[in-house]
Amino acid sequence: MSPPIRRTAALIFVAGLLLALGLAARLSRGGAGTAGADDASLAGVVLAEPMPKPAFTLDDTEGRPFRFQERTAGKLALLFFGYTRCPDVCPVHMANLAAVLDDLPREMREQIVVVFVSADPERDTPERIREWLDAFDRRFIGLRGSLEEVNAILAELRLAPVVHGQPDADGDYVVGHPAQILAFTPDGLLRALYPFGTRQADWARDLPRLLRFTAAGTLESSTQPRSSRES
Amino acid sequence: MQWWCSALGEAWEWTWRPYPGVWAFLALILAAYILVLRGTPAAATEARDRGTRAAVFGAAVAALWLVLDWPVGALGAGYLASAHMVQFLVIVLVAPPLLLYGVPAQAYRRLPPRVIAVLRPITHPLVALILSNLLAFATHLPLVADRLLASQLGSFAIDVAWLAAGLLFWWPVAAPVPERPWFRGLSRIGYLGAQLIASKPLFIYLTFTTYPRYATYELAPRVLGITARADQQAAGLMMEIGGMLILLAAAGILLLRSTAGEEALDGTRPPGPATDPRPSARRAP
Repeated sequence: MSPPIRRTAALIFVAGLLLALGLAARLSRGGAGTAGADDASLAGVVLAEPMPKPAFTLDDTEGRPFRFQERTAGKLALLFFGYTRCPDVCPVHMANLAAVLDDLPREMREQIVVVFVSADPERDTPERIREWLDAFDRRFIGLRGSLEEVNAILAELRLAPVVHGQPDADGDYVVGHPAQILAFTPDGLLRALYPFGTRQADWARDLPRLLRFTAAGTLESSTQPRSSRES
Repeated sequence: MQWWCSALGEAWEWTWRPYPGVWAFLALILAAYILVLRGTPAAATEARDRGTRAAVFGAAVAALWLVLDWPVGALGAGYLASAHMVQFLVIVLVAPPLLLYGVPAQAYRRLPPRVIAVLRPITHPLVALILSNLLAFATHLPLVADRLLASQLGSFAIDVAWLAAGLLFWWPVAAPVPERPWFRGLSRIGYLGAQLIASKPLFIYLTFTTYPRYATYELAPRVLGITARADQQAAGLMMEIGGMLILLAAAGILLLRSTAGEEALDGTRPPGPATDPRPSARRAP
């Protein structure tokens, strides 16, 4: 190769490398999902009319009554109806939430309560629920009640009831249940639903925003939290 | 039944599944190879060399089969980014040089001039390096990968694009045509070294991120309890360490062959006094 051609080739190579590095840096900053956006919208499905927090009581995994409204007052409560034998939606939701909560500053993390209500009380014993939740985060709260009680709560939240499928030869069955995580902001209102498909980056962006809905029912600009790494 | 591995969204099961598209694809590669061998008569003295090359080609096809079929293919297409990376390393860095080496040098030399004319610019080391890396980078963009992995055709397209990228990258090193006398010995080792640098942006992109890049793997039912984040970081590290080891091994082979007076991976000898009178002609004007 003659020197001019070699020089041109070297320039093209360096330019290509710089372009690729720049692209990588740009994409790294952007992250996955919708993190990094700086608008007021939430990644979840925002309710046009926020709903009040239901006042149900179910037993926790220690067998003690858990009064949802009282125990989550003033906090961001993330409520999910699922079951421990769920093969796909439930473990992915819980794992993604747990991963993001681990990254939050402690003071922010303490303002968030994750509540899992079993949609399969027949098979989900308190011990099984505890063991399953502990695999994600020991701070997650597990609740269990009769199917009637669970469906009554779902009806109050205007969600479809739990449906159990036909048992197979081994006696196993699938459970139809809402796939959304319900976000009750600190002001006691259900403001957004997070369907299956919500990414960790979405949670990382939205959790600090959801915490800013205070008892006054407004988005406080003065309490801008130390946001997650990609928000 | 699925013909090619793609993301399913179902819980992973260790139950064998047939992927006839993979078998058909590999059978086509083998059939094409047999046709090439039949169309390239070999002298009796070349029988042993032919046997070695056929064994190497067979090993490349076997390696492709291992990563395209169940379980690695299925895990890589829809469950684990780390399995996807194993596929990437084998399809781009392991199989192509073996495939190219497996073809006898005479077969390359029988390529029509028109084909050589097309190969000449795109297999220029610099062009091949840039194009293959751009192809690898493009297929790793979440927007592209997540969409393609969701369908069998898309997943097939990724695998074929990787194989094309691999063949393109290794062609200057492992194929004897078009001849480039200036690109031998240390130049080829330098080329492999340049690849180590060129793969860095993708490694950085995959490894140094707080949240998983790919929805496909983040939202897939977990396998063996590996979290989505750990899986992606493992994929990035595998790319860096695995890629480096493969390239170092190839550089070592090139160096050994170069010092032994043989030429590189294509198995041909460099031009010298015994085969090419030009250097001695230059020495004695």
